[in-house]
Amino acid sequence: MRTFVLRRLLQIVPLLLGLSALTFLLLQLAPGDFLAEMAQNPSISTEAIESMRRNFGLDRPWWVQYFAYLRNVFLHLDFGESFSRHQPVFQVLREAVGNTLLLATGGMIVTWALAIPLGVIAAVRQHGAWDRGLQLVAFVGLSVPELLSGLLLLYFAAATGWFPTGGMRSLDWDQLGPLARVLDVLRHLALPALVVGLVPLASRMRQMRASLLDVLHMDYVTTARAKGLGEAAVIGRHALRNALNPMITLFGFTLGSLLSGSLVAETIFSWPGLGSLTLEAIQAQDQYLVLGAVMMAATVLVVGNLVADLLLAVADPRIRHE
Amino acid sequence: MHSSVRARWKAALLSVVLIVSLAGCGGGGGGRGASTRAQLPLPADPMTIPMKEPGRYGGRFVLGQTSSAKTFNPHLGSGSATTDVLNRMYSSLVDIDYNTLEDIPQIAKSWDVSTDQTTYTFHLRHGLAFSDGHPITSDDVKFSFDVVLDDSAGVPLRSLFLVNGKPWEVSAPDSYTVVIRVPEPFATVLPNAGAVRILPRHRLEAAWKAGQFASAYGTNTPPESLVVSGPFKLQEFVPDQKTVLVPNPHWFGVDAKGQRLPYLDELVFLIVKDQDAAALRFHAGELDALDNVKPEDYPAFEKQQKAEKYTLYDIGPSLNTNFFWFNLNRVREAKPGRRVGDPEVEAYKYAWFADPVFRRAVSHAIDRDAIARGPLYGFGVKNFAVYTVANKLWHPDTVPTWDFDRAEARRLLVSRGFRDVNGDSILEDAKGHRVSFTLQYNSDNNVRKAMAELIQSDLRQVGIEVIPQGIEFKALTTHLDADYQYEACLLGQQTSVPPDPGIGGSFWLSSGRMHYWWTKQAQPVLPVDQRLDALFTEANRPAPHEVRKRASDEMQRVLNEECLLIWLPTQINRLPVRDRFGNIDPNSMPHRILWNADRIFDRGGEGGR
Repeated sequence: MRTFVLRRLLQIVPLLLGLSALTFLLLQLAPGDFLAEMAQNPSISTEAIESMRRNFGLDRPWWVQYFAYLRNVFLHLDFGESFSRHQPVFQVLREAVGNTLLLATGGMIVTWALAIPLGVIAAVRQHGAWDRGLQLVAFVGLSVPELLSGLLLLYFAAATGWFPTGGMRSLDWDQLGPLARVLDVLRHLALPALVVGLVPLASRMRQMRASLLDVLHMDYVTTARAKGLGEAAVIGRHALRNALNPMITLFGFTLGSLLSGSLVAETIFSWPGLGSLTLEAIQAQDQYLVLGAVMMAATVLVVGNLVADLLLAVADPRIRHE
Repeated sequence: MHSSVRARWKAALLSVVLIVSLAGCGGGGGGRGASTRAQLPLPADPMTIPMKEPGRYGGRFVLGQTSSAKTFNPHLGSGSATTDVLNRMYSSLVDIDYNTLEDIPQIAKSWDVSTDQTTYTFHLRHGLAFSDGHPITSDDVKFSFDVVLDDSAGVPLRSLFLVNGKPWEVSAPDSYTVVIRVPEPFATVLPNAGAVRILPRHRLEAAWKAGQFASAYGTNTPPESLVVSGPFKLQEFVPDQKTVLVPNPHWFGVDAKGQRLPYLDELVFLIVKDQDAAALRFHAGELDALDNVKPEDYPAFEKQQKAEKYTLYDIGPSLNTNFFWFNLNRVREAKPGRRVGDPEVEAYKYAWFADPVFRRAVSHAIDRDAIARGPLYGFGVKNFAVYTVANKLWHPDTVPTWDFDRAEARRLLVSRGFRDVNGDSILEDAKGHRVSFTLQYNSDNNVRKAMAELIQSDLRQVGIEVIPQGIEFKALTTHLDADYQYEACLLGQQTSVPPDPGIGGSFWLSSGRMHYWWTKQAQPVLPVDQRLDALFTEANRPAPHEVRKRASDEMQRVLNEECLLIWLPTQINRLPVRDRFGNIDPNSMPHRILWNADRIFDRGGEGGR
C-alpha cells in the first residue's frame, strides 16, 4: 500500500516537468508578451519597455528562460515572480486557491447531497411519476448553461435582497465576531455554490439511478427480499452499499477537478478564485503566474485521483492496491 | 414588498452581529481614527483646496473596480486598476487643475523658471509630513526623482525625464528647495515633474540601494508600513476583493474653514469583474458609484435616479477617440519575397492605401450618424481630431473633414480609375485587382466589432469589400508594431493626463511606437511625416499657449488633410453617483469620479441605501 502511494506521488514529477515545458512553449508561441499591453500606453517610451523586457528576462530565447526557471525551482524551490504584481507566485496563488477550494467544496456538497437521494428515489420508483419528474428536471439542468443559471440567480439575489450580489465577504466583515464571519461567508457562498453544484447534478443523479437499478436486479437482492426483509433494509443495507461503489470512483475524479471548472461562477459572482486569476494571468501573459497555477491544478488532479483510488479500497474490500 | 423582506433580513443579520459583538469580540474598528486628522496640528503651509461647498467629516464611499491594484509602488504602477488607487495615496510637487488643465502647486508652494527655461526652482511647503509623521523635505523629492532616473529600478515613466537621451538633473540645495535642470527647454516640464509621486526616503532608500525597489511597496506589504504622501493611506487590501483607504492624518490639504482633508472616513474599491454584475450591485445599493457604464444602459440608469437617490452625471464626449487606418509600413529587414523598403502589404494594395484620394473616398463612405446610433446607442458624437471637444485647451476649432457623402466617395473612386469591370458590384483598380481589404480590431471589444460591421456595409455601398477580423488584443498589438501583418486596423486611443500634445510624442513623431500608419521610422520618408515631426518640435517648445496651440492645430490639419486616420464617432460618457455625496464633479480625465476624492463628503441621512 505504501509503495503504491509513493509510486503514484513520484509520478507527479515527470508529469509536472512535461506540463511546465508545454505551458511555457505555448505561452511563448502566443503573440506578444507581458509588455505588449504597456506598449499601447503613450506615456511609456520604447526604450523603457525594452529595458523592462531585459529586467524580466523576456529578451532571452525561451529555452534559456525555461531552464533558468527549472534551476530556480529545483535548487531554491523558487517558482518565480508575477510580473504584474512584483510578488512571488505562490504568495499570489495562495489565497485564490483557498477561495476556489471553498467554492468547489460548496458546489460538491450541493451536487452530492442532492444527487444521491434523488437518484435513489428515481431508481426505487422506476418509471413512476417521481422518476419521470426528476428525469425532466435532470434534462433541463443539463441543458441550462452555467452562465444563464448564474445570471438568473444574481437577478434573484438583487430582486429579493436575500443574498448578496457577489463578493465573498461583506465590507464590515473584519468588524464581525467569529460566528458572524462564518455566517457571512456562507451567505456569500450559497448562490455561487448552487451554480457550480447544479452543473454535474443531473448526470450524477442519473448515474446513481442506473447504478442502483443494476444492483436491484441482482440475485442477492432477491434473496434478501425472499428472507422477508423490509424494503428499507433491502435498499439501505444491501443494495445501496454496492451501488455506491461506482459513485465513489466518480467522486474521486471530481476531487481532481477541484481547482478547475468554476470560472463562470467566479466571474459572475466576483468570487476571488483561481479561475479568474489564471485567466487574467494568461491574458496578461504573466508567465510564471500561469505556470504556477497550471502546476498547482495538475498536482491537485493527481492527488485527487490517488485519493479516489484509496477511497475505493476502503469501500470495496475486493480491491487491494499492491 | 421586497424592501420589507430586505429590511427584515437586515434586522435579523444586525441582531446576529450585535449579539456576537456583545458576546466578546468588542473593539472591532468603530470610527477608525476618524478624528485624528482633525486633532493633529496643521502644517505651517497648508494647501487650501477650492470647492463648491465645505463638507463634514465621516462616511464611506464605495466604488466598483474590475480588478485589484497590482502594486502600491506609484513608480511601478501602470494600468488604471492600479493608478486609480495609487493616485489617491501619493502627492507630487505639482498637480493639474482638472477644470482649467493648468499646473497648480501641490507639495511645492511655488516655483520660478529661469529665463532660458532650463532651470526650475521649486519652493516646498513648510511643515509637511508623510502618513507616519516623518517630515517631507527636498531629500524625499530628490530621492523620488533619483529612483525614476535609475535604469535598473525599472520605472516605466523614466523616459519622460530624458531629453534626447540626457537625463534631468535634480538637486536639493536646502531642505525646502528643489532645483530641476533640463538639458533642453520644452513645454511640459511641469506636468512631467508632476508624474513623479513623492516617496518617503526613510522607508525606501535601503530597498532601492539593495536592488529591491521593484518588490518594495508590493501588495503584500503590511498596510501600516506603507508610508504615503497623499490624502489617503491604505487600511486594508484583500486581493481581488477590496481595497480600503482611510485618511492620511498628516496630509496638508485643508478646506476654506481650515479643516484638514479628506472628509471621508473610508474610500473603498470593491472588485466586481463583470460589468452587468456591477450595475446590479449599484442598484442594490452596495456601490455608491460606477466609473464605467455601457451606453446601452444609460436609459435604464436614468429611470431609477429618483427612486434610488442617485444622479446619472453627463460628462459629455469622451477624451478617447476611435478611428481606423491603413498599413503604410515598409519592410525593415529583408525576408522571402520582400526587400527592405518594400511595402509590408501587397504592392497593389499599398498603391491604394498610400493615395490620399482613396483614403478620403473611404472616409466619405462612412455613415457616422449610423455608428453613433448603432454601436453607441445614440450616445456618440462625430469627432475628427486627436483632441476631442472634451479637451478644452487643445481641441482644434476647425479641421478639414471628409464626412459621409456617398456620391463624393464614388466620384473620387472613379477619378482614380476604380471601375466595376466584371459586374460583381465590387470595384477593380486600373490593373484589374479586386478592391478588398481586411480590417482588424480587438475581438474583446463589442463596440468595435459593431463598428467594423457597419464599416463593412457602408463600404460595400461604394463597391469596396471589407473583411472584418477580430483578433486577440496582444496579437493585434504585435501586428501593429512588430510584424506588421495587417491591412487596416480599427482602434481607439486613450487620453494621456494631461491631454497635452507634448505628451503625445509616441503618436505624432515618425519615430513613435504609436505612429500607427508607419511606426518607429529611423528617418521620416513621407513628406507628411517630416512635416508632423517638425510641427511636434514646434508645439513642444516652451511658449505661450496660443503659440503652441497654433502648432498643435496645424499638426491636426496636416493629419486630416492627408486623411491618415479615418475618424469614427466618440462616446458620450455618463456616470451614476449617489446623491448622498457632496462635491461630486465628474470629469472626462481619469479618474473621472475620484479625481477630487479629497473633498468628496457624505451629507449623511437617507441616501439610497
